[in-house]
Amino acid sequence: MDRNVCVIAGGMSKWGVRDGSQRDFFQEAAKACYDDNPQLNPKEIDGLLVASAYTERTSYQTHLAPLVAEYAGIKPKNICARVELLCASGSSAIILAFAMIKSGQADVVMVAGGEKLYTPQKWEVFYSELASVDHDWDGGQGLGLPPPVFAMVAKQHMAQYGTKKEHLGVVSVKNRRNSAKNPKAQFQTEVTMEEVMSGRMIVPPLTLYDCCPITDGAACIVLAVEEKAKQMTDKPLVYIRGTAQASVNNMSANMPNWTTWEALKIAAQQAYSKSKVDPKEVNVAMTHDCFTISEIIEMEDLGFCKKGEGGFFVADGQNDFGGQVPTNTDGGLLGCGHPFGGTGIRQGMEVTRQLRGDAIQQVPNATIGLTHNLSGFIAAHTVLIYGREVA
Amino acid sequence: MSTPGISILDGKYMVTMDLWPQQSKEFNQIHLFYEYLKEGRFTTTKCKDCGSEPFPPRVMCPDCYSVNLEWVDWPTIGTVIDVTEEAVGVPLGFGKPPLVHALVDLDGKKTFFVRIINCKTGELKSGDKVKLAVFDVDPVPQEFGREVVEMPRVFYAFEPVK
Ligand SMILES: [Zn+2]
Repeated sequence: MDRNVCVIAGGMSKWGVRDGSQRDFFQEAAKACYDDNPQLNPKEIDGLLVASAYTERTSYQTHLAPLVAEYAGIKPKNICARVELLCASGSSAIILAFAMIKSGQADVVMVAGGEKLYTPQKWEVFYSELASVDHDWDGGQGLGLPPPVFAMVAKQHMAQYGTKKEHLGVVSVKNRRNSAKNPKAQFQTEVTMEEVMSGRMIVPPLTLYDCCPITDGAACIVLAVEEKAKQMTDKPLVYIRGTAQASVNNMSANMPNWTTWEALKIAAQQAYSKSKVDPKEVNVAMTHDCFTISEIIEMEDLGFCKKGEGGFFVADGQNDFGGQVPTNTDGGLLGCGHPFGGTGIRQGMEVTRQLRGDAIQQVPNATIGLTHNLSGFIAAHTVLIYGREVA
Repeated sequence: MSTPGISILDGKYMVTMDLWPQQSKEFNQIHLFYEYLKEGRFTTTKCKDCGSEPFPPRVMCPDCYSVNLEWVDWPTIGTVIDVTEEAVGVPLGFGKPPLVHALVDLDGKKTFFVRIINCKTGELKSGDKVKLAVFDVDPVPQEFGREVVEMPRVFYAFEPVK
């Protein structure tokens, strides 16, 4: 008999420029997760996967999972390990937890992810980013911080498809409007198109509001096999239908195409196929809006609109409430911030809420949700599809 | 050489904080890339079995998995496809803004996204030629028994052809 996998709880710490340490935020996230589902007995959690990318660099801590287990008050007996894929660490851990439950290696797995990125002197986090790309090759070109990379993507996309700076602006305005309603988000204020268009120049054509910030924080989600999930929550069950993760290059010199993300197309195709879902059936999506241009290309390569029309699709409101596929309804990376290991888990939480029907800003009757991350030098793409029913 | 906040690290080298790759043969099997770079050559490894020329250089061919490789020279002049100029957020070690990068077609070999040095804001445009520029970076104080030897290092960027 197939073992189906459900999300039964999720919670996050406040995200932002936070007072506190990594271990503080993991406790806050665990508490929020337990509060989300009072029927869940944490003692029944039999596995823990922890997603964190910079724990060694900015918290000087390896062997993180047993530490998080100790602080979260759980005693895993089937798995207790850390997963790292930079910006997609959280989604990677959800995929592995899903696979462990599906295969019978565990029944109830907590996935916790987060980072303490701000150090007592801020230069260190920027400097550490030189290890996020191929350190020996792209790092030495000063490409650790991603704005130049995405500025080049934006310039190329604009030249090839007529995407406009205003299209980028629509994404910032939408995601900041959504985060202003999400009390856990880093940014609690909206921005206007005027403010966005006159924002401080970072790397032309990207200005301040085109870029997600550096963020401290953590998030937790709990997955359970369907039979146990039914006993552990009265809320509607949300299933993971299918997942995929693809990589076709790492170093920048090996990028097959700067404006069509081949690995994203592969991951999306795999996830749709395993989930028996057509892109047009996705009701709500959390995509990796590390930069505004990213969300635009993701609309195209996830199959929500035709190649090259992403800018026009977002400008037409097609990925906002009332459109074809409301995207980043909780504020996304641009609004919530981006503590690398936490992001995929935040996305899974928001999709779960949308499908349960208890999101802060609800997409009416959403039954299929999608999450997407890119990581590194646009070097890997991760797609998960959730649903109110199994595939 | 004091390290504020960590007095015990005074004068100590930290590989975990090093911007640049390790280039000595004890710490890098493709150290010849850097030796050739010092001669102004831009090289990679070519597979003698299948002819593949991957970049970065390898110890195993990623196409046919052979370890029968040889060093070959690549062009040192390329053509600019497009340029970015980073005004804010330039990481430590990369000078004052702007930090200029260009997508460079290296004569059909690869499209490199590389740092451009010796270049003013707005100077570089699509279609311009750029050439390899090699510069010294901090040497690594490497232990050999009880001796500590300063191992010289270089790195590369590109610069406008004037
Ligand atoms: Zn070969």
